Amino acid sequence: MDAAFLAQLVVNGLVIGMIYALLAMGLSLIFGVLEIVNFAHGDFYMLGAMAAGLALGTLGFGYWPTVAAVTLASAGAGLVLYEALLTTLRAHSFERSILLTLGVSMVLQNGAIYLFTATPRIVESEYGVASVGIGDVTVTLVRLFAIGIAAAAFVLLWLVLYRTRIGQAMRAIAQSREAALMVGIRPRQVARLAVILGIALAGVAGAALAPVYTVHPTMGVLLVFKTFAIIIIGGLGSLAGAAITAVALGVVESLIGGFSSVVLQDAFAFLAMIAVLLLRPQGLFGRGVRV
Amino acid sequence: MRRPAAVAVTLLAAAALVLPPLAGASGYAVTVGISFLAFAVLATGLNLVYGYIGLLSFAQVAFWAIGAYSAALLVVERGWAFLPAVAAGGLLALAAGIVVSYAALRLSRHSFAIVTLSFALLSQLVARDWVELTRGPAGIPGLPAPILLLPGLGAVAIDTPVAFYWLMLAYAVVALAFVHRLVRSRIGRTMLAIRLDEALAQAQGIDPLRYKLLAIGLSALLSGIAGGIFVFHLTIVDPSILDFYYTETMLIMVIVGGRGSFWGVLAAAAVFAVVPEALRAAPELRMVLYGAVLVAAMLAFPEGVGGWLRRRRVARWRRLA
Repeated sequence: MDAAFLAQLVVNGLVIGMIYALLAMGLSLIFGVLEIVNFAHGDFYMLGAMAAGLALGTLGFGYWPTVAAVTLASAGAGLVLYEALLTTLRAHSFERSILLTLGVSMVLQNGAIYLFTATPRIVESEYGVASVGIGDVTVTLVRLFAIGIAAAAFVLLWLVLYRTRIGQAMRAIAQSREAALMVGIRPRQVARLAVILGIALAGVAGAALAPVYTVHPTMGVLLVFKTFAIIIIGGLGSLAGAAITAVALGVVESLIGGFSSVVLQDAFAFLAMIAVLLLRPQGLFGRGVRV
Repeated sequence: MRRPAAVAVTLLAAAALVLPPLAGASGYAVTVGISFLAFAVLATGLNLVYGYIGLLSFAQVAFWAIGAYSAALLVVERGWAFLPAVAAGGLLALAAGIVVSYAALRLSRHSFAIVTLSFALLSQLVARDWVELTRGPAGIPGLPAPILLLPGLGAVAIDTPVAFYWLMLAYAVVALAFVHRLVRSRIGRTMLAIRLDEALAQAQGIDPLRYKLLAIGLSALLSGIAGGIFVFHLTIVDPSILDFYYTETMLIMVIVGGRGSFWGVLAAAAVFAVVPEALRAAPELRMVLYGAVLVAAMLAFPEGVGGWLRRRRVARWRRLA
């Protein structure tokens, strides 16, 4: 085993782990504030990637304008999702929220297959396959940018949550809905922002990964299910837990893929989740059992 | 169901199930009939778990596939006869159901949905990637026609769509009759009580876990056997037996039919097995339509059409009283 190969695997794992983290934090945010598990989360990631492909390929946008445009468009999609559908859900309608968002997912995914076919397509940016070498490790620029974009998104999210009043309100609702209502927090406004942020994170993840991997209508399916596993392992509602678990999972998967079997690579998240549920049901970073 | 109208509907339904194959319906129509019967069992299994006891399970398709793969492998690799192989497949699905739900029920309803979903995905990965066990993406083609020893008829080869239709019909009637007895019994009422208010049910001295395991185990057994029979009709089992399409279709049937409504779900199974065939739409468009139906149902009829009818009936009684 040589060190360069190991380092290469770790870097590749970091890229995918950061993307997992973007999705997991969005899901976790929406779950924490609205108690909704968004089954369509992976499809907004897919839409982000498809839109990035469209902007980079057909419209001839540059890489950075594409990322900015897709982020804004995803935020808009989040607003529409919230105002059109999620506002109809009352509290304690967990199963209804799953079925509603599952319906949205079926429409988006199969609609995309119908319009664009299921064929994976390659998206190229102006950076192509240009890469930089750090020691023995070679990293393409678009992978580095993906890590950078994810890191920037984390910082922005942290600033919103911990340095603004509405972010404080968001954390308050996630902590205790009743107490938050009592001190006069308006849940609708906060919920709207949570969904907009969550979907924007999913969209930007798609845009960042589009030039790294291929883009196709079902690219979000396995990813979103892994993200569910991540937020269960990290502890439902724990943002930091979700982020740490996501990055760790990306690296572990990459190492398994390099040294062991591809089967185990994809199955690992689910096996880990079942193990965590049996041994520590509140999750690795959970505060306590929520029933 | 003692009113004349109900008797008439039942007779009509029975005639619709029995007469067309006797009158020489096309092979295509019989195939649609077989898939309706399989979906009737699957949707009723999901109805037992989600409709009666209130657990949203995504693992049903995995139970169906475990039954399908086990039966196929036992027949092809071990040379078992059809019936014992299908029964063993059902029992394996039952065992998987108990183990998975025991783990999934540890935390909450929230984690139950996610864990059962992960179990279905794990099964997909095993079917596709564990080539030594499941033969991977190519699956197991060329399943032999089952041979049944029927009293009075001797050995009968089930090798035509019509013969498979009768076999599936016989199984579906037995399975559904059993579920019907169960949900109309004290056990069924207890399950509904747990769905409506688990804490109150516990206060009455009911142990919800036992009833949950019973509902999931039974639905896994019934789905597993249905899967075993169904793949011998297809003559091949491959990872597509785990397609998310089955889960989505089952869910649509239970939601539109009304969770906890035995006949409503059967009616919805008939509608959603036949209508898409009649529309002959592209499969993607059909799933877009299903998704839209699911969203619309969640917005307009959260308790399904069956629940909506029931609410209207209750409202009428209240007016009369």
